[in-house]
Amino acid sequence: MTLTATHLLALTPPILVCATAILVMLAIAWRRHHTGIAIVSVVGLNLALLSLIGVSWMAPLAAPMLAVDGLAIFAAALIMVAALACATLAHAYLAHYTGPREEFYLLLLCATAGGMVLAASTHLATLFLGLELLSIPLYGMLAYVYGERRSLEAGVKYLVLSAAATAFLLFGMALLYAETGRLDIAGLAARLGGDIGAWGLAGAALMLMGLCFKLSVVPFHMWTPDVYEGGPAPAATFLAAASKVAVFVVLLRLMTAAPAFQNSDLHDVLAALAVLSMLVGNLLALTQSNLKRLLGYSSIAHFGYLLTALVISDGLSIEAAGVYLVSYLLATLGAFGVVTLISSPHASSPYVAGAHGGTDAAGLHHYRGLFWRRPYLTAVLTISLLSMAGIPFTAGFIGKFYIIALGVEAERWWLVGAVIVGSAIGLFYYLRVMVTLFLTEAGMQRRDAPENWAIQAGGVVVLGAAALIVALGIYPVPIIEWTQSVRVLTGG
Amino acid sequence: MEIAFYLSGLVAVLATLGVVTNTNPVHALLYLIVSLISVALVFFALGAPFAGALEVIVYAGAIMVLFVFVVMMLNLGQQGVAQERAWLSPRVWLGPALLSAVLLVILVATLWSGEGGRMITGETLTARAVGSLLFGPWLLVVELAAMLLLAALVTASHVGRLPGPAASSDRRDHKEVP
Repeated sequence: MTLTATHLLALTPPILVCATAILVMLAIAWRRHHTGIAIVSVVGLNLALLSLIGVSWMAPLAAPMLAVDGLAIFAAALIMVAALACATLAHAYLAHYTGPREEFYLLLLCATAGGMVLAASTHLATLFLGLELLSIPLYGMLAYVYGERRSLEAGVKYLVLSAAATAFLLFGMALLYAETGRLDIAGLAARLGGDIGAWGLAGAALMLMGLCFKLSVVPFHMWTPDVYEGGPAPAATFLAAASKVAVFVVLLRLMTAAPAFQNSDLHDVLAALAVLSMLVGNLLALTQSNLKRLLGYSSIAHFGYLLTALVISDGLSIEAAGVYLVSYLLATLGAFGVVTLISSPHASSPYVAGAHGGTDAAGLHHYRGLFWRRPYLTAVLTISLLSMAGIPFTAGFIGKFYIIALGVEAERWWLVGAVIVGSAIGLFYYLRVMVTLFLTEAGMQRRDAPENWAIQAGGVVVLGAAALIVALGIYPVPIIEWTQSVRVLTGG
Repeated sequence: MEIAFYLSGLVAVLATLGVVTNTNPVHALLYLIVSLISVALVFFALGAPFAGALEVIVYAGAIMVLFVFVVMMLNLGQQGVAQERAWLSPRVWLGPALLSAVLLVILVATLWSGEGGRMITGETLTARAVGSLLFGPWLLVVELAAMLLLAALVTASHVGRLPGPAASSDRRDHKEVP
């Protein structure tokens, strides 16, 4: 199938993001201007987001190696919202950084394009390139403040481990190709048919392993807390929000489209991984005294819950996964957004002298008594954590309700039990953080957000995330209708 | 042809083992060159002469020679001469030389028996076929690869920059080439 004008029109959003990246590159070559570059990136992302509305009229459409269907548009919208939030947070975070600041937006745009391609891929070549285009800029973003030892460590750690996972993914693809002689997912599905054979199973399992690494599902989770803790807060936000959403969506597409991934043995393995992720992630989070590490472990647990939707993969599963992804994304943006704002160096803080002389403000002691200094930021963080815990009247409750309903309907009691036990453990450490926010004592740490944070773009982002969490928790109909209309294009 | 394929494959595996077990970077790189050349021979045996030629020219030729140069330049020091002498001991070059000799024997034997133009199965993949595939249906993938290289380049140039706030803030004030 050759590329036609219709296909190009349907692929406008990723093309616009790539064009913005090139524009940003040329602008940096011409003149370095931090705010200007940030505005160009945000405008480009907004244009791409708007063009999604037009593209949704054309869906479903099968472009060569990419599908423009409901799932791809859904994922692209989530990824671009996360990228917009990261760009605005990065502007606040990098405002007083003394090194070159503009490349961050270039890398962010490249990674966004990669995530959108990954979520839309219907061919193993685009899957691989999308995944790499998502990961390689992330190495640079995580190691962005490379003068800081932890940031460099996070970047290198993610680079090495992610390269190893990519090797597994490629080996799995090679085995599937050797078995079938096809690289497109529809072709793979047609050739493999019912019985997939030992090599096909091994290939599917290796691919699953590579993707599970990116999702930091339990046996492959070792990198998560260190990378979250070390990376600059906006980069960690993008890693936790956009990158994981994109990889999960492509996994969802593989599971629904290719029979090799519907094998019952693989489903049992996935179910075991899901239970392990929920329990281990939540249990390890209990002992953390660093908010970023805690959020890292909690994201492991969240992807355990999300894997439940993949294991059951019938009926409600796409709808449940979609609702859960939205609630996870909003809560992550809210929580990491507050961490970013608190860590951002600013004129009135004693830290500005050596701007970024210290690591991010992620230790729980930095947040002790935050309520008495920054009540609104505290409210945002509290709402995000409540949503992660799945308390009613937040979006997280709707997501968790869907997951449990899915498990009960399919009568997978082990999974349902693990979700409930995991949520109970989770509630404990989320509440522990919340209690810290309201404690007060003499001589507490003065690590604080800028005075005028609320009128800046970053403040608007976190307040918007919190407002959406509450709004969708009370009135979830729009998001449910959207995810119900999501269709996966299997052919092409 | 099948024998050529399997023998080259075996050489590739052995040479790659040499790469990962060697502690000296230059020795490991010698093995890596042999490994890449044997992979090129595998491509020839499979009927993809274009991919094979690219493997020889780009990987074994340009990239690896660059690697060897850089590693050798980094090692320039007081013990440079002694190290050069140590590298000339047979223990170092015997392994890669033997493996390359096997590859040469395979190549000569294949050419001698008049099987030069044949391959194991399928049609010959020419440069024309590869080009029309890449710039036809795979056009998007080529463009994505371009974006990937851009991202990798920016990452490398940013992280590889010499730290020092004074220099960078100074640079920011003036117009500069990135």
